[in-house]
Amino acid sequence: MCASVKYNIRGPALIPRMKTKHRIYYITLFSIVLLGLIATGMFQFWPHSIESSSDWNVEKRSVRDVPVVRLPADSPIPERGDLSCRMHTCFDVYRCGFNPKNKIKVYIYSLKKYVDDFGVPVSNTISREYNELLMAISDSDYYTDDINRACLFVPSIDVLNQNTLRIKETAQALAQLSRWDRGTNHLLFNMLPGGPPDYNTALDVPRDRALLAGGGFSTWTYRQGYDVSIPVYSPLSAEVDLPEKGPGPRRYFLLSSQMAVHPEYREDLEAIQAKHGESVLVLDKCTNLSEGVLSVRKRCREHQVYDYPQVLQEATFCVVLRGARLGQAVLSDVLRAGCVPVVIADSYILPFSEVLDWKRASVVVPEEKMSDVYSILQSIPQRQIEEMQRQARWFWEAYFQSIKAIALATLQIINDRIYPYAALSYEEWNDPPTVKWGSVSNPLFLPLIPPQSQGFTAIVLTYDRVESLFRVITEVSKVPSLSKLLVVWNNQNKNPPEDSLWPKIRVPLKVVRTAENKLSNRFFPYDEIETEAVLAIDDDIIMLTSDELQFGYEVWREFPDRLVGYPGRLHLWDHEMSKWKYESEWTNEVSMVLTGAAFYHKYFNYLYTYKMPGDIKNWVDAHMNCEDIAMNFLVANVTGKAVIKVTPRKKFKCPECTAIDGLSLDQTHMVERSECINKFASVFGTMPLKVVEHRADPVLYKDDFPEKLKSFPNIGSL
Amino acid sequence: MQSWRRKALWLALLASWLLVLLRVFPLLRLAVPARPWAGAPQGWPRWLDAELLQSFSQAGELPEDDPQPPQVPRGGGHCDWGACFNVSKCRGGGLKVFVSPVAGPISDTQRGILASIESSSYHSVSPDEACLLLLLLGPEAPAGECSPVPQQWNGGKNQLVLSLHPALCPQTFPPGQAMVAKASPAVDTFRPGFDVALPLLPEAHPLRGGAPGQLRQHSPHPGVPLLALAEERGGWRVAGADSPACPWDGRCEQNRGPEQTPLGATLPNATFCVIPGHRPEALHFLQALQAGCIPVLLSPRWELPFSEVIDWTKAAIVADKRLPFQVLAALQEMPPTRVLALRQQTQFLWDAYFSSVEKVIHTTLEIIQDRIFGASAHPSLLWNSPPGALLALPTFSTSPSDFPFYHLQRGSRPVGRFSALIWVGAPGQPPLKLIQAVAGSQHCAQILVLWSSEKPLPPRWPKTTVPLTVLAGQRKVSDRFFPHRAISTDAILSLDAHSSLTTSEVDFAFAVWQSFPERMVGFLTWSHFWDEAQGGWGYTAERTNEFSMVLTSAAFYHRYYHTLFTHSLPKFLRTLADEAPTCVDVLMNFLVAAVTKLPPIKVPYGKQHPEARPPLAPGASEQQPPAQDCINQMAEEFGYMPLVSSRLRLDPVLFKDPVSVLRKKYRSLEKP
Repeated sequence: MCASVKYNIRGPALIPRMKTKHRIYYITLFSIVLLGLIATGMFQFWPHSIESSSDWNVEKRSVRDVPVVRLPADSPIPERGDLSCRMHTCFDVYRCGFNPKNKIKVYIYSLKKYVDDFGVPVSNTISREYNELLMAISDSDYYTDDINRACLFVPSIDVLNQNTLRIKETAQALAQLSRWDRGTNHLLFNMLPGGPPDYNTALDVPRDRALLAGGGFSTWTYRQGYDVSIPVYSPLSAEVDLPEKGPGPRRYFLLSSQMAVHPEYREDLEAIQAKHGESVLVLDKCTNLSEGVLSVRKRCREHQVYDYPQVLQEATFCVVLRGARLGQAVLSDVLRAGCVPVVIADSYILPFSEVLDWKRASVVVPEEKMSDVYSILQSIPQRQIEEMQRQARWFWEAYFQSIKAIALATLQIINDRIYPYAALSYEEWNDPPTVKWGSVSNPLFLPLIPPQSQGFTAIVLTYDRVESLFRVITEVSKVPSLSKLLVVWNNQNKNPPEDSLWPKIRVPLKVVRTAENKLSNRFFPYDEIETEAVLAIDDDIIMLTSDELQFGYEVWREFPDRLVGYPGRLHLWDHEMSKWKYESEWTNEVSMVLTGAAFYHKYFNYLYTYKMPGDIKNWVDAHMNCEDIAMNFLVANVTGKAVIKVTPRKKFKCPECTAIDGLSLDQTHMVERSECINKFASVFGTMPLKVVEHRADPVLYKDDFPEKLKSFPNIGSL
Repeated sequence: MQSWRRKALWLALLASWLLVLLRVFPLLRLAVPARPWAGAPQGWPRWLDAELLQSFSQAGELPEDDPQPPQVPRGGGHCDWGACFNVSKCRGGGLKVFVSPVAGPISDTQRGILASIESSSYHSVSPDEACLLLLLLGPEAPAGECSPVPQQWNGGKNQLVLSLHPALCPQTFPPGQAMVAKASPAVDTFRPGFDVALPLLPEAHPLRGGAPGQLRQHSPHPGVPLLALAEERGGWRVAGADSPACPWDGRCEQNRGPEQTPLGATLPNATFCVIPGHRPEALHFLQALQAGCIPVLLSPRWELPFSEVIDWTKAAIVADKRLPFQVLAALQEMPPTRVLALRQQTQFLWDAYFSSVEKVIHTTLEIIQDRIFGASAHPSLLWNSPPGALLALPTFSTSPSDFPFYHLQRGSRPVGRFSALIWVGAPGQPPLKLIQAVAGSQHCAQILVLWSSEKPLPPRWPKTTVPLTVLAGQRKVSDRFFPHRAISTDAILSLDAHSSLTTSEVDFAFAVWQSFPERMVGFLTWSHFWDEAQGGWGYTAERTNEFSMVLTSAAFYHRYYHTLFTHSLPKFLRTLADEAPTCVDVLMNFLVAAVTKLPPIKVPYGKQHPEARPPLAPGASEQQPPAQDCINQMAEEFGYMPLVSSRLRLDPVLFKDPVSVLRKKYRSLEKP
């Protein structure tokens, strides 16, 4: 009783009936240990959070507070750019050797302010665009802050515009960078090269071996495969909101919107306008604008004022004429408006021309031919023009739109050179998303009829129907072109029959035991398959004649990229239920063949096992059904082609087997199969199956011709 | 005693606490975001005054640029297309080439090249009307006469200096403004967009036709070695995939395996062929291409052949020789899909542009013509996918969807209607029944009657639901394959006045054609065979188990083949066809087979009785078509036998099946 009272008064059950003295002692001990632990914890966390918070303070600096570096007047100057530089001579590829995932690592030098001996700055510290560019790189996967792991170095010295910097001092600033090493693996971005009076087409700053991403390269200064030609960014891209306008005929056929055009060229343009009237519009700068109107955003024709860049959307073709510099920001505006640029700038290297196919988005006209521009453009068919308009807009969206887009495209190009085996393809660079979606690149595109001598490998999937399996093996072995027989033993609880019990056949027979009873085992790319042609056959398909199988193989040779099978099936759109339906009735069309017996290329085994979209493979294994429909979907999706149904064969099972009790079973079967089609169509995101009305028969099939002279006389029916 | 126990309890408790805490701390540490850690990337700072930064270009500078007067073309060593080629001479008719006479004796190869250019559409007989003067340099020129500056040199303007084989003597006259087409030019002297890089051909390269690619199967045969290394004197050394210990920089010459192939061994049998970058190795490049062995070029110092138009990234790998292990690892890990695509592309490129001297020459001229055409040149897709730019003429269309070959890549379909083109020959009877049968098809867009008879046109034509146009023909058989402007659909149903077809047959054949728009789909077939006794090719109209040609007296095909027939076939062949009318069928089948490399397609034809079979062509006997000889002349002109045999016929799905006729869509096809 007493104890219970004590218990009730003195607190928790963990310290029952304790003396006060002891209690204090324990509590003290406990607190000390606890304090110690807390202290340890603090020690583990605290220093870093201090560091990080100070770091945040540092990051929120002003550009004006960056450290100042004084360049002595006699500090070294790099050599001028080496015109013979190529990736394998001037680029140190060893630095990029240990980068995982085939991605180059880019380091950015921290920002400094450079002044000469008298304290006069060498250039503006950094421009808005260059800051954006470095930020884009730093946010990308390419960035590293570990200078020792970097493969490419980007100085924070802003050389976007040559006119804002002092050439010699900037070069000295470059030369004192910590890893400069003659400019090896350094990348400079420049959009406005050269200066008056002669306007060089590449940055005049001596830069030795550094790569130059430059706007306005000409064929004389561009080092193909080394430099990168980039666009001149148009600030209007960010300032003006210009909604996309679809392709199609527009009000003006040809438009010139540039303000600084040499009088001689302007004369030519005026002459074209005089000749073709309304369809040509040549604009100039406005002279009589009221105060406060941004002259950059207006263009004039006589007294008519037009909004720029909106007016570009009214024209089909827009002239992009060379100014003092070859690269013109107007190119970006023109592309954005979906106007096809007519580039008149001899020897100009178009932006990203290493990877972009400008023929698809622009017309290049030699300066000499300027007066013929109109007739040259008129010879282009309307369909091609619309394609070019679409392409122009896509180029802008993908590679011109922002400083970030320009920076990342540049790095991707360099990355592609260093890891050529992981490079983006022509299609990935050039095809607009709509084309990428609609197009199919057949993995077996080469028209090649495999030699008959190669033969095919038959793969029999079996569980335990040994008797029927042996019959299938005996039947199939009679086919002349069979070169190997592979039995996939899907039963883990039972061993396959002993070697001596198997039928003796003329070709090698191999038994593969599987680890799990899965339907997908039938489509596994076994190493034992040495031929390209595979015949998948069930262990109960005994009705196919040798002629039929041999003919099937012959048909496959003519269509090696398709599924070639016997009974055909069809998918139909059920309008009432608004979903797909599986059809096995007597139809005039087929879109699938059953893989109970079908020939196909072994590459599709690889695709089925490793590249099946979504969860289809596991779904099929779980449901133990529809592996054949999945294969039909896969092949049709990747090749864009229909199946080939061979010979009249309609079903595999004997007709009399379908008794009345089988009817309901049949119906649930149909429902399940329809579900499969709907499931797969939703995973693929489209219905890839193609419907055709033909099947393949031997040339003389059912012709009035002596049977014994036919190559395949014994073709079974239904 | 009790307190001791209590102490022990407490100690145990504390110890467990400690353990728990110690366990938890590292976890907590992981849970903390990585940013505060000193080693994590800090990135480019976000400046407080980023918004205030100035733009790189001041308002006045962009787009306001100082205007610059037109440039004077710079000559000399720096030449590009705009500066050094006068396009205005090529106005109209595209590229016309005049071959400058060569001083001294000319070799067989040169003679062959001359003949091949003369029979092509580029040829021009006078230097005045030509826009390109071609100067052929041969390797055999004796040392004294190495490089006479030719007549009409004119500083090299609009000249093409072509040397297939590296010249024995160094060129003494500077190319100046002339374009140089030579084998494997060094990267440093090559002028991109102006010069043309040729492949380095072996001495005995066939003039026309050429050896086909060696690839017999799409995917590499299991067990084929991964690598073959190019050896010094034209051989190949097979390297095991698992022994990367010996990369290719020649540091381990001593431990060459026994697998070394004999010198001059023809073609490598491996998945990848590693070719060092220095010049003489360029010969290996073509060998690898022909063998379907994916070339891996290590920092090549020479320009890849036809790099201006061929996208080599689809067929070869240009890697850095300084990273041997990395390249090796990349090759070993390359996904099968990529290997498959690269292998096939090597074969396509070999067959399309490299397998004969003639193809190399024509490709060179085609590249220059593309430069002249500008916007109406071949799109890149036409150069880089089968059948290749020499067989896909940009004068037909620059839109890939107009051709029969690119529907898959473009996600397009051929137009769902056809034009019936009925050729009326000598007898001059208007084929009224045939017109009615064809017009009955719902897919028929128009009927064109090509009246090639001497008889006057009948004044009245049957009334049809589709427009009927009568064209006056030129009484030449080849005229029936002229790209008449009036043909408005992709599909053409080519017919003779004697042909007899039912609407149902037409409908089914057209449905089949839509699945195979690049092939010919026909009703009556011939097959070719090698006649041992005669030592030549023959062909027969007898019914056999296979066929390789379909008769154009009743066949569907794409209208593009009319353009190809008229504008790309050598004139000699067309004349041959005009002289022997049955040859025209053979020629058309040759052409389509050479383009597709596939057999035509046969569909069922109701009239099986021999007496009801339409006469094949005027004067042709039933069993043995005459002019057996034309097939041999054509095979010789093509350089090989393009025809491919097929053993199948495409029938309607329920064709002659024992089911109710009412179920069948094409039931009238089965009537006896």
